[in-house]
Amino acid sequence: MTGILKQPGAFAITPHKVSLCILLKIYAPPAQISVPFPFSSVSQHNRLGLFLLALTKSCDDILEPKLDELINQLRLVSQNWEASWLIDQLISRLSSLSSPDDLFNFFTDIRGILGGPDTGAIEDDQVILDANSNLGLFLRRCVLAFNLLPFEGVCHLLTNLGIYCKEEFSSCPPYEETSLDGSSSNLETYSEYENMDLENFVYEKVSEEIEARKEASERVPFHLHTPNALLSLVDDINVAADSASKQTDKVRVASPYEDPPSNMIQDIDSSGAVFLRSNWQVQGYLQEQADTIEKNGSAISLNGFEIILRQLQKLAPELHRVHFLSYLNGLSHDDYSAALENLHCYFDYSAGNEGFDFIPPAGGNSFGRYEIALLCLGMMHFHFGHPKLALEVLTEAVRVSQQHSNDTCLAYTLAAISNLLFENGISSTAGILGSSYSPFTSMGISLSVQQQLFVLLRGSLKRAENLKLKRLLASNHLAMAKFDLTHVQRPLLSFGPKSSLKLSTCPVNVCKELRLSSHLISDFSSESSAMTIDGAFSTTWLRNLQKPRGSLILCQENGSGNSSNVSQFCAQPTSIPGSVLQVLGSSYILRATAWELYGSTPMARINALVHTTCFADASSSSDAALAYVKLIQHLAVFKGYKEAFSALKIAEDKFLSVSKSQILLLKLQLLHEHALHRGHLKLAQKLCDELGVLASPVTGVDMELKTEASLRHARTLLAAKQFREAASVAHSLFCMCYKYNLQVENASVLLLLAEIHKKSGNAVLGLPYALASLSFCISFNLDLLKASATLTLAELWLSLGSSHATRALNLVHGAFPIILGHGGLELRSRAYIVEAKCYLCDTNFNVFEDSNLVIDSLRQASQELQLLEFHELAAEAFYLMAMIYDKLGQLEEREEAASSFQEHILALNNPQDPNDPLVSIY
Amino acid sequence: MSSKESCRTELRIAIRQLTDRCLYSASKWAAEQLVGIEQDPAKFTPSNTRFQRGSSSIRRKYRTHEITATPTTGVSYIATPVMEEDELVDADFYLLAKSYFDCREYKRAAHVLRDQIGRKSVFLRSYALYMAGEKRKEEEMIELDGPLGKSDAMNQELVSIERELSTLRKNGTVDPFCLYLYGLVLKQKGNENLARTVLVESVNSYPWNWNAWTELQSLCTTVDILNSLNLSSHWMKDFFLASTYQELRMHNESLTKYEYLLGTFGFSNYIQAQIAKAQYSLREFDQVEAIFEELLRTDPYRVEDMDMYSNVLYAKECFSALSYLAHRVFMTDKYRPESCCIIGNYYSLKGQHEKSVVYFRRALKLNKNYLSAWTLMGHEFVEMKNTPAAVDAYRRAVDIDPCDYRAWYGLGQAYEMMGMPFYALHYFKKSVFLQPNDSRLWIAMAQCYETDQLRMLDEAIKCYRRASNCNDREAIALHQLAKLHSELGRPEEAAFYYRKDLERMESEEREGPNMVEALLYLAKYYKSQKRFEEAEVYCTRLLDYTGPVSLKYLTTISI
Repeated sequence: MTGILKQPGAFAITPHKVSLCILLKIYAPPAQISVPFPFSSVSQHNRLGLFLLALTKSCDDILEPKLDELINQLRLVSQNWEASWLIDQLISRLSSLSSPDDLFNFFTDIRGILGGPDTGAIEDDQVILDANSNLGLFLRRCVLAFNLLPFEGVCHLLTNLGIYCKEEFSSCPPYEETSLDGSSSNLETYSEYENMDLENFVYEKVSEEIEARKEASERVPFHLHTPNALLSLVDDINVAADSASKQTDKVRVASPYEDPPSNMIQDIDSSGAVFLRSNWQVQGYLQEQADTIEKNGSAISLNGFEIILRQLQKLAPELHRVHFLSYLNGLSHDDYSAALENLHCYFDYSAGNEGFDFIPPAGGNSFGRYEIALLCLGMMHFHFGHPKLALEVLTEAVRVSQQHSNDTCLAYTLAAISNLLFENGISSTAGILGSSYSPFTSMGISLSVQQQLFVLLRGSLKRAENLKLKRLLASNHLAMAKFDLTHVQRPLLSFGPKSSLKLSTCPVNVCKELRLSSHLISDFSSESSAMTIDGAFSTTWLRNLQKPRGSLILCQENGSGNSSNVSQFCAQPTSIPGSVLQVLGSSYILRATAWELYGSTPMARINALVHTTCFADASSSSDAALAYVKLIQHLAVFKGYKEAFSALKIAEDKFLSVSKSQILLLKLQLLHEHALHRGHLKLAQKLCDELGVLASPVTGVDMELKTEASLRHARTLLAAKQFREAASVAHSLFCMCYKYNLQVENASVLLLLAEIHKKSGNAVLGLPYALASLSFCISFNLDLLKASATLTLAELWLSLGSSHATRALNLVHGAFPIILGHGGLELRSRAYIVEAKCYLCDTNFNVFEDSNLVIDSLRQASQELQLLEFHELAAEAFYLMAMIYDKLGQLEEREEAASSFQEHILALNNPQDPNDPLVSIY
Repeated sequence: MSSKESCRTELRIAIRQLTDRCLYSASKWAAEQLVGIEQDPAKFTPSNTRFQRGSSSIRRKYRTHEITATPTTGVSYIATPVMEEDELVDADFYLLAKSYFDCREYKRAAHVLRDQIGRKSVFLRSYALYMAGEKRKEEEMIELDGPLGKSDAMNQELVSIERELSTLRKNGTVDPFCLYLYGLVLKQKGNENLARTVLVESVNSYPWNWNAWTELQSLCTTVDILNSLNLSSHWMKDFFLASTYQELRMHNESLTKYEYLLGTFGFSNYIQAQIAKAQYSLREFDQVEAIFEELLRTDPYRVEDMDMYSNVLYAKECFSALSYLAHRVFMTDKYRPESCCIIGNYYSLKGQHEKSVVYFRRALKLNKNYLSAWTLMGHEFVEMKNTPAAVDAYRRAVDIDPCDYRAWYGLGQAYEMMGMPFYALHYFKKSVFLQPNDSRLWIAMAQCYETDQLRMLDEAIKCYRRASNCNDREAIALHQLAKLHSELGRPEEAAFYYRKDLERMESEEREGPNMVEALLYLAKYYKSQKRFEEAEVYCTRLLDYTGPVSLKYLTTISI
């Protein structure tokens, strides 16, 4: 940060400093008794002293408070009449400085209030400034700076004093310039509002502002490009009586640029009123903003922040960091060209020497550290979904950092590359790992990709360990855990593993990596805070200074105050840095994911809960949203859709601002499931298409989303009984997953294929698929999916004839422990029904003796299915029940079951139920 | 075009009026054009035409085509009535004020005219105030060189001038000169649209004020803006268009305009310099050199535009001519940014890069926004292998003018030097986007793609193809194309390009290793195609060159 520091001699005397000197003179008038005139008590006097101390601390300004701001602060500090006396004195003395000679005299006078070197000789109750105290030092610096001024300088000071005083009297709006730039963005905003009720708009704006004041974290607009109908789908499910609030919701949705610039400027102004404008403080402010963007990108409005940045740049053209912030801003708002331009601009100016908390290599080289630029550029391309470009750039970053022997950067780059490879389907990595020439052949599978990824991960892990980059190490461990989670130790060589015992994932490894990752964090509590920025710290310091006096400025505290708490928390030197907390938080998310895959839902739920309760403040908003998603999914599976949707509504309110929203994805998933269960196939198809559109069109990007979309597509087709189409979709999905090494997904695709064959009545064809899926599940330790596959297998056997009933029953019973322990409503009821069917098919089974056995499980199943509104299976359960009652001769129960059966069948066949809220939307 | 004589009378009056209003640079310009009008040889004795041009043999050599007197294409120029001077009631005060102004005592001049209401007095008062503000601003900029590089020095008089002039304009009692000043003020205050309208009004009612035209030109940043201007036709408009086309990098259009203007103003130094500028942009260095030699002969103390001449001399590596030029401008006026730039160029050519950086720095001290000095300084830093400093210098140039393709190119080059070819590509792309007809840029980009680190040969081929299409002077592109194609195993394309390269070398009578390589490849190629006759032809040609290879090939083919 060398470029931004002021020169040591550049302590310029300004009108603001002159007023400080005047106040100091009032504070310590020469030759006075202990409590000088206007003050009634020592504490009053001390209060002014503290205030002055704060002011002098923040005197390294690039933008100083205006006179009226100073006066306002004075009013806050002291009692009524004292304040007005102080202010009168200040203004009259200021305005009496009308010629250069007045200034000369003033500064000669002021020397008198300083104690001489022989401070011991002074009487006790005389107020005098110690020349070595903070205030004394400030005064001496002022005097020195004045004496160093050439005559031109004195003239300037005089002119500036005139302006300074005049501004107070005319009190013009402080941020005049911003309206220049604001006009264009305002236009943009208004054009969006054109077709809207103006009153509504105004109300909305006001309420928005109030909201903004109340809770700092919620003040934000958001970017969601979804059709309104879809967004309000859930609103309408638990039909809301207050249509007014819904209306405003929609208004909010329609205006991505909502946050008008003025709002934003008020925002900075309110924090700016605490006169935090020193160099360091601006740095601190930028750092804080960077953190916010990182945590929750769309929390900051694109234009509003851009205006502030431009203003900052005007004030401090050499503060290149502003460009970086601009880049981040562009990045978080998906403005590709702006981000690119600003990134290049930043690194051209700063040569990578500014602002990164990397450990600088010994013996600073003069060549700049452009490898960091490459690293950032690579990450940017990654963010925008250009994996090929990103890989090229990162390869170059590897080369350049090797060339400059910047190991730290190399470690980060390797981590970034492995992350890239992990997220995207890229085949050839030859360029990185040695041989220089690698034309990018078509995106295809090569088994070595995984191996290379593994090698890369290992390498970057080792490197991070050697360089003691703890944060990187922690996140590398996490990446390793992720890798272990979904990849078997040896690559699958053929279709399905041959000796399943050897080829399997190692949950132990995952667990180990996760533990290692979080262990590292504990080291941070002992480590000194290299990460905290001085500016942020002094910001907090000043805030704390003001707090006991209960100033109006800090109304943020009244609100939820999460963000401000965090920043204060972070600024304390002993605390754990926010980014570390974030890594820790994501380790919990990963745990939840792992347990989800391995099939222990309670564990998954617990980990997600831990994340939401402990790391809500520190984690990035996307992580937090993910935790919520997991919890809501859990709810949907175990408690039915009603509960899930009401929870979703809460989550939506909380994460309005998340742009590429996981919440939106979740909503689509839930709605799709719901529609499938209720038999709204058209709606299901529509939702499924919506889901597919969310994915990027680039090959190899957003693989998870694409897989999910086509999986759901196949299921919808299956539900519509279009078996051939469903099978072909599933087949092509299988091929894609195979190509990109998504083996875990393949297990479920195989299961789906088995399901399709089962439904189409081709049990013999279905069997191999079910078995393959089963073996996949075993090798990947996917216990819950394995149970589900076993169930399908049992059904397949059963449909081959009653002779296989015992075998099927054994299978079902074998799977029961895990299904009852961890399975959701659907799985459980399916298991019950299959079990009942097995019994009924079994020739040895006597209905009259063991009817309770069957009836109980069927009743259980039907209850759970009703919760899910799963008409098809529910009808089946009721049908079976009715048959049994019929056999038993219990006519009343039989009628009851039969009518329930009819109800479900009708609902299934006639989805256009007018009472159905879902239908009314489409 | 209106007749030479009418131009002459118009200009004569205009010069007097402009001088009267202390618009000296405009009157200087007008006077230059006045003298530039071709004299009627019948009326004047040879002694009068002594300083006029056209006699130089060099010039004649490069004059590619005689000006075919463009037929007047029915454009009827509106004869703007020459402005009537209003009766000066307070002529004495005006005279005093003007003398103060001439002595650069602006505030005093404004004060003398404080209560005058004549149009001329109003203008001179406002103009004097403006000049006083500008002078103060310049001083402040040096006094207040803030620690963070902030310099927000403002012309303090702008507000009051704007207020006065806008009321005048509303009342309709404003004259074209006040309109010009009003436009100037508006432009400085950032109100560009209104400034444009006001300036158009000004030039429409009084077209001879070149200052107004230049201000207007600086506000025309795109062709669309230029086309949307509602300008009445006058021969001054042609000057304006020519110069604006040049700024918009439409060099050929600009050249035609200037050639056309030469018909009337045959001896205008200004036009010659502008033509040189356009030719320089088209990289016709020989012509530029000829023009400048001529200019220096007729106008030996000229400093304007001489930095471009030094660039040409630099490119042609004329050591002594450059040193001569540097000496001359140094003696004329050493504290002009152009002079410093020329000296910097000289040191650069001598390989004394540290010294040349000193002079470029001085040029930048004199004019912070001196674009070419930033770029040239970047080049020096590149030579000194101080790439971060070079990047910084180039970046500043780019920030001053985002259309400066040289600086973008320099940035790319600097990054390529640091072994970051992929990163450099971004900058090369920018530069070719701005100057798509420059083969050097395309070649640089292609070489970037070709580096060992990237080896994106297909992209490189695309770039070379573009380069060969836009008049690749050094003939690198064809050779590289042939080589790359043969490397990628496409013998037919390779042979095609080798043949083209060969033809080109023949036509330019160049020889060298490239020739041997081409012949060799073609011989091999035809042999493999079983077209032995052609192969033999190439082989026999190979015999002209020494080396064992050719003989061996000839023997293999004849077998």
